[in-house]
Amino acid sequence: MSRVGSSIVGTSVKRTDVIGKVTGTARYAGDVKLAGMLHGKMKRSTIAHANIRRIDASRALALPGVKAVLTHENVPRVLHYGAPHPRSISVTCDQYILDRKVRYWGEGVAAVAATSEEIAEEALDLIEVEYEPLPAVFTVEAAQAPGAPQIHETAYAGNVLFKPVVVTRGDVAQGFAEADLVIEGEYETGRPTPAYMEPNVCVCQWDNTGKLTVWVSTQAAFMVRGILAEVLGLPLTRVRVLVDHMGGGFGAKQDLFQHEFLCALLAKETRHPVRMEYTRGETFVGGRSRHPCKIWLKQGFKRDGTIVAREARTVFDSGAYGSHGPGVTIVGTTALTSLYRCENVRLEGRCVYTNAPIAGAFRGYGVVQTYYALDIQMDEAAERLGMDPVELKLKNAVREGDMAPSDHPLVGHGLEDCIRRGAAEVGWAALRQRPREQAGTLRRGWGMGCEMHGSSAYPGIKEQGNAIVKMNEDGTAVLLTGAAGLGTGAHTALAQIVAEELGLAFDAVSVVHGDTDIVPWDIGAFASHTTFMVGRAAQMAAAEVKRQLLQRAGEQLEVAAEDLEVRDGVIAVRGVAGRRITVRECMGPKLGIPAANLVGNGTYTPTKSYSFAAHFVEVQVDIATGQIDVLQVIPVHEVGKVVHPIAAAGQIEGGIQQGIGHTLTEDYVIDPATGRSLNAGFVDYKMPLSLDMPPIRTILLETAPDPGGPYGAKGIGEDPIIAIGPAIANAVHDAIGVRFRHFPITPEQVLAALKEKAGAAA
Amino acid sequence: MRRFEYHEPASLDEASALLVRHGADASLLAGGTDLLVEIKEHLRWPQHVVNVKKIPGLAALEYDERNGLRFGALVTARAIETAAVVRARYAGLAQAARELGSIQVRHRATVVGNICRASPSADTLPPLIADGASVRIHGPAGGRTVALEDFFTGPGRTVLAPGELVTEVVVPPPAPRTGKHYIKHGRRKAMELATVGVAVALTLERDACRDIRIALGAVAPTPIRARAAEAALRGRALDGGTIAAAARTAMGECRPISNVRGSAEYRREMVGVLVARAIERAREGAG
Amino acid sequence: MKRIVEVTINGERHELALEPYRSLLDVLRNDVGLTGTKKGCDVGDCGACTVLLDGKPVNSCLVLGVEVGGSEILTIEGLQRGPERLHPLQDAFMRHGAAQCGFCTPGFLMMASALLDENPAPTEEEIRFGIAGNICRCTGYTKIVAAIQAAARDKAEGKA
Repeated sequence: MSRVGSSIVGTSVKRTDVIGKVTGTARYAGDVKLAGMLHGKMKRSTIAHANIRRIDASRALALPGVKAVLTHENVPRVLHYGAPHPRSISVTCDQYILDRKVRYWGEGVAAVAATSEEIAEEALDLIEVEYEPLPAVFTVEAAQAPGAPQIHETAYAGNVLFKPVVVTRGDVAQGFAEADLVIEGEYETGRPTPAYMEPNVCVCQWDNTGKLTVWVSTQAAFMVRGILAEVLGLPLTRVRVLVDHMGGGFGAKQDLFQHEFLCALLAKETRHPVRMEYTRGETFVGGRSRHPCKIWLKQGFKRDGTIVAREARTVFDSGAYGSHGPGVTIVGTTALTSLYRCENVRLEGRCVYTNAPIAGAFRGYGVVQTYYALDIQMDEAAERLGMDPVELKLKNAVREGDMAPSDHPLVGHGLEDCIRRGAAEVGWAALRQRPREQAGTLRRGWGMGCEMHGSSAYPGIKEQGNAIVKMNEDGTAVLLTGAAGLGTGAHTALAQIVAEELGLAFDAVSVVHGDTDIVPWDIGAFASHTTFMVGRAAQMAAAEVKRQLLQRAGEQLEVAAEDLEVRDGVIAVRGVAGRRITVRECMGPKLGIPAANLVGNGTYTPTKSYSFAAHFVEVQVDIATGQIDVLQVIPVHEVGKVVHPIAAAGQIEGGIQQGIGHTLTEDYVIDPATGRSLNAGFVDYKMPLSLDMPPIRTILLETAPDPGGPYGAKGIGEDPIIAIGPAIANAVHDAIGVRFRHFPITPEQVLAALKEKAGAAA
Repeated sequence: MRRFEYHEPASLDEASALLVRHGADASLLAGGTDLLVEIKEHLRWPQHVVNVKKIPGLAALEYDERNGLRFGALVTARAIETAAVVRARYAGLAQAARELGSIQVRHRATVVGNICRASPSADTLPPLIADGASVRIHGPAGGRTVALEDFFTGPGRTVLAPGELVTEVVVPPPAPRTGKHYIKHGRRKAMELATVGVAVALTLERDACRDIRIALGAVAPTPIRARAAEAALRGRALDGGTIAAAARTAMGECRPISNVRGSAEYRREMVGVLVARAIERAREGAG
Repeated sequence: MKRIVEVTINGERHELALEPYRSLLDVLRNDVGLTGTKKGCDVGDCGACTVLLDGKPVNSCLVLGVEVGGSEILTIEGLQRGPERLHPLQDAFMRHGAAQCGFCTPGFLMMASALLDENPAPTEEEIRFGIAGNICRCTGYTKIVAAIQAAARDKAEGKA
């Protein structure tokens, strides 16, 4: 039975995109097979920093089956933005398709197209590259040391990517002078990668008119179109980007990758369609990681727990290219103005090039790092003030009217609501009093962590959500959207919103997406904004169509449109029984008069809304092996309005999985001497698997709806990965009395810390 | 994957002749779960792949009280993991098989392949060594039998001569009151390569330890016996003190290295913790 | 040199001429046109390419196409029982939100169907053990486990 009327938003309707996924018919970019298609492969550097002295493809070209080889000598040399967000301050213009210089181990230096993957792979070995090695730096300290090699000519100063961001509120010196307790700490975060299941892939084809069609796994089809057009010197009418389903991106697939340009150029050169797919190893080597970050954080507290001053310096390691370095640095650093209120704040954030792999956008976008530091320091402050951490966080939680990092007043008391609800749910007060294990080697602990995160990238990027809704003559409707189907269920949520607004059954709304020649322009699926921003645009477009529909119905029923309402596919005169027609009757052709062409356009330019969460976590530490197990997680999220409860919970559970991973086991490691990748695969890049994941009891709150979001809805995508990390670190402290200020926390470090603690006590 | 020529010999002699003819250019394929990965990851470049799955007589798994367990080169890890007799009498081996890769991998991977790959961290090796297993080898000069603990000469290296292949594993039957245990140490609960593997097989007589074998994986260039630790326990009562002392001895016997999976110091420390735990669990199993 | 291989895939007989160095995964995707089976790692670590080979779940990336002569293979495209009749697992995955990006989903479904064939009433622990070789990066596994439990119940109650 299809659900109708006002119950659609807030109901877990059957996700429209899922039938193809469970039957194997959903088409991903890598499933595209075209007649005459060639296979492309990339040759990658075996040195982290070098000039290419000589590159010789002649032996590769001589291999039977090889159709083309590209090197820096025969590709256009255009400096471009790797992540082309409309010229915003968030991204950096510092990449070439192929350069004369390599800046990290594994950077692409050449590409081959051949009749089979095997031949392409063999050809790579036949390309000779002679390098002139340059000194390389793999840490932000080395990169900022006097005499460090300059990685980019375009940098702000030395290897500092852009002018460091400074945020000042109130008077920090005054604040510290008033403090009863000052805590200072240094925090450091690892290099997790998004590790989406679908390796990067694209297929490129040129037609006889000189038009390029690209099937690609991306979160931002219009960004791919724009930057390909710019770099290849084409008008937008000559580039069409198609994305049907995609196998996850988690932020990283906002960027353009070298293979996407090379694939287009190989297809042009060979006049054949070309397919290029990363191996799993290449998704690490040539992908995007989270920015490793170092944070110095100092806060002053009054005896009653009031925070009177906060000072921080952050340094984000961008790796070899800028990508989202500025955006991540600004968002992560300015996030420290908030979460826990403080009137006197001074923050400085910088971003530094190194010869490490490229860091980019990844779920949590800088805030994962800085709130890890902030929330652990709050736990430490509670301990030193003799307060319960829940009490301390409640006392300082941001609330209605406080200035958010985006310089807007916050709406509602979402954070407090999350903390209170979670504490009640787990019986926090009683947990604090429980007896502790003494025998054996297992120690249990509870911890909690908090976060808030904005929907949309405002003010870094002034965003825009667009939607078109068309009525069909049988009373059903079509939504056209450019938002990518990342796997989150966004298209279902958008269709729910349109059905709700139009008064139609959910099944009566279909979604068209994924073709830049057809759907309205879209900025891309990121920044937790799709439901919030595109959802609002879809709601506006539906409202516009509804206005036209009621106008037409009014003419047919001979009443004023204002007196009509539409519910469950029926248009009725408000308060008058019997005066009604169905939407189908209203729309359809009659007596030779064709059906109406009703089209609604919606454009929404949001500022920002904030969602909140508190995560409560129980861990178990084996003090003999150092192994940490997460036993259970109770995440409480305030999201304004839940559009699809199952999909929302699914976002949270998945975010927690990634967060547990980056806190305990995941770290993409490079050799500190050579920059060579050491664990580019799923054996040694250790994501939590089914047996490692604890039960998760998700609680969704709707206590602080945002006036800008559809039905009050706010974002959810990034939030869950942020609070889990500090919750785990705080729980480990509760279990064994050791305070970790970094991630990942490894068993070896647990043992070493326990020994140090025992030594200090002895 | 790189291009190669493919052979399906119908007999051991034919397989052996192919190996002799192609020498270092040939690789044997049984389960393929290591070989194909190594080819794809460019760790091995065979020009010839010799699939032994069509050779008859290599797929049997049998047990009898006198001769113990025998299984052929094509017996999969999944077959070992799920065989009732293995679970009952070779608990360490069953546990190791259960922790090798995924079910999908174990349906293809063979235990003999795990042996011949000779990875220091291979899961099935410590329990088989603790069980006193030996391997039967077929070669151009006929057959021979080698004790498994003498089979390995280094990481990825064995005593196999050109043209030789392992056809069968033989594991003696356990004495009464024997208990066995295998502990694999890794960061996750599945899909791991062991950072340390500890297998113990011990036999009790009254309250004393009549015999014990302790085998360690991933802490030396080959799997090794902790002979000094064994000697310290043989004929002694198993209590907290003797077990802890033996575990400390085992720590001194291993020769671990540091890599991305763990430091040498940590591995050595884990040998101490896990040898003690494995002995205690094996003792419980011995009843 | 290509070899001729006769194999039954989803109940249909195929005669294929295959290069020996092509994996079953590549053969299914490229030669047979069954792209529902996904390549997530190509080295047996992620389970996205799981198919049933003579009823047993295997990583098709670690099987050579030339090895499967005479075998029966079931892929995600063959799991469905009829045009409108989903396998109970497919239905449960949809209802429980067990598929997000969907890239791992075919592998999970094939593994789970083998699991339920072998053990019709698995405990949660047995399910988690059974799917340990399948990586999902979206769901945290919670809803996948719930869907498999629900499908087992549905099958037991004869609902599906």
